[in-house]
Amino acid sequence: MKVLAMAVVALALSGTAARAADPRYPDWPCTQAKVPEISLAAVWAGPTLDDVQNTWKDDAKVSALVAKLSARKTPLDEAEKSVKEFLAASATDKTAKAKLLFAGLFDTLNAQRSQVMAGLERVSRKQREAADKIREETIALHALQGATPRDEAKVEALGNELIWKTRIFEDRHKVVRFVCEVPTTIDQRLFALGRVIQQEME
Amino acid sequence: MQAEVRTQMLRMWRVGLLSGLALAAAPAHAFIAYVSNEKSNTVTVIDTESWTVTKTIKVGQRPRGIDFTRDGKFVMVAVGDDDTIQVIDAKTQAVVDSLPSGPDPELFAQDAAGKILYVANENDNTVTVIDLEKRARLGDIQVGVEPEGMTISPDGKTLINTSETTNMAHFIDTASRQIVANVLVDARPRFAEFKHDASEVWVSSEIGGTVSVIDPKKHEVIGKVTFEIPGLRKEAIQPVGIGMTKDDKTAFVALGPANRIAVVDVASRKVTKYLLVGQRVWHMAFTPDEKYLLTTNGVSNDVSVIDVAAQKVIKTIQVGELPWGITIAP
Repeated sequence: MKVLAMAVVALALSGTAARAADPRYPDWPCTQAKVPEISLAAVWAGPTLDDVQNTWKDDAKVSALVAKLSARKTPLDEAEKSVKEFLAASATDKTAKAKLLFAGLFDTLNAQRSQVMAGLERVSRKQREAADKIREETIALHALQGATPRDEAKVEALGNELIWKTRIFEDRHKVVRFVCEVPTTIDQRLFALGRVIQQEME
Repeated sequence: MQAEVRTQMLRMWRVGLLSGLALAAAPAHAFIAYVSNEKSNTVTVIDTESWTVTKTIKVGQRPRGIDFTRDGKFVMVAVGDDDTIQVIDAKTQAVVDSLPSGPDPELFAQDAAGKILYVANENDNTVTVIDLEKRARLGDIQVGVEPEGMTISPDGKTLINTSETTNMAHFIDTASRQIVANVLVDARPRFAEFKHDASEVWVSSEIGGTVSVIDPKKHEVIGKVTFEIPGLRKEAIQPVGIGMTKDDKTAFVALGPANRIAVVDVASRKVTKYLLVGQRVWHMAFTPDEKYLLTTNGVSNDVSVIDVAAQKVIKTIQVGELPWGITIAP
């Protein structure tokens, strides 16, 4: 009985996971709207970065700082402080350095964000497959339970298997909900660091 | 009647005192701003002299619309998921009472005298009318589907309510409580603001990406403010909150996920400048001296301070999660 109840829960969950809010992104599992890329203009009102492109990678100091600031383990207030210190130390070519630093952060954090989103969609597809499997096995279990004579060993084995699969399914579902917050966290970091850089340039 | 005279006198006395003070000590007035945080179920109190958070008040669930009573003694905050409006005592900075709204109140508007409160209830398509002195419900007005923005004409005779679903601004006669006109605007109208001289009412459309300028006598759209930010897709420009200076010369429009406030010349209805503030900016409030404009930025969880004369962002203050509305002590 318990097995059946769990399987029903799993199916209900898969139902909500399968109903994508935006038809353009059928695998997107989050309630938050999917915004594939952050547009530069949404976070930057400073001078054009057209002349910077990938050159931030050639500046060892800048690329090291970009790596540090992009890491989610670096607390945001500490990251903001590092930006200020770095720009204060590059007084003569402040604008150039500021542009390099922001270009690096923009590229890196946008890429980080895309990776997280691709991961979410991959898990979403896997979850759909898992839900299908659970549905099939539930039907099989029904058949076994109704059969005469009833093979108790088989019923128990399949029952246990279903409990296990349902548990994995539910755990993943919880993780997905948590990871859905990550793209926004990255947006916030990029915006906050961009704002500090622009303020320091003025 | 006597009470009315008394409040009138008090107000005159206070205005006199304030202007007196302004003459005596020109530099920085300290005002108190209250910010509703939709997700963290709190109200943040900000001191506008030090620009610091002085207190965080726990309120009901999903606080959104927030406004001072006209006498400056209380702050009202709509807590939608608790189906009520809570009243915070500005002196003790604690919740002391609640007002009887309908289900899921989102925001509200009060008349010039601060006696009558009109509450937009998102869930049942009504506006609840509340007597603020008695703190009692006077009745309901049926409006369009999903009432959103709300404002009252400077003479108190007309209430404007925007409806998310019908894309209309409903003009309601406050005496008869009947709808007298419906004006079609662009998709998802969110906010309405009268010019102080009452000659125009501006209505923002979040999806349409425009602000419609309506003649409130003829009930006609007479112009539109449009926005364009190089590099940003049109869908990212979502106008919501509007603030207008007392001289009716300059308007500020919050553009949501464009993360910017547009500065608009009211006469020509043209944008003169865009200011990058915070992420998903929605609502705003001026300090009473109009030196500063404070905006709520929902995704970056902060409040931006704009120097109105310089048209520059001078400060960012971290508040609670998903800051929504803001009000500043009169």
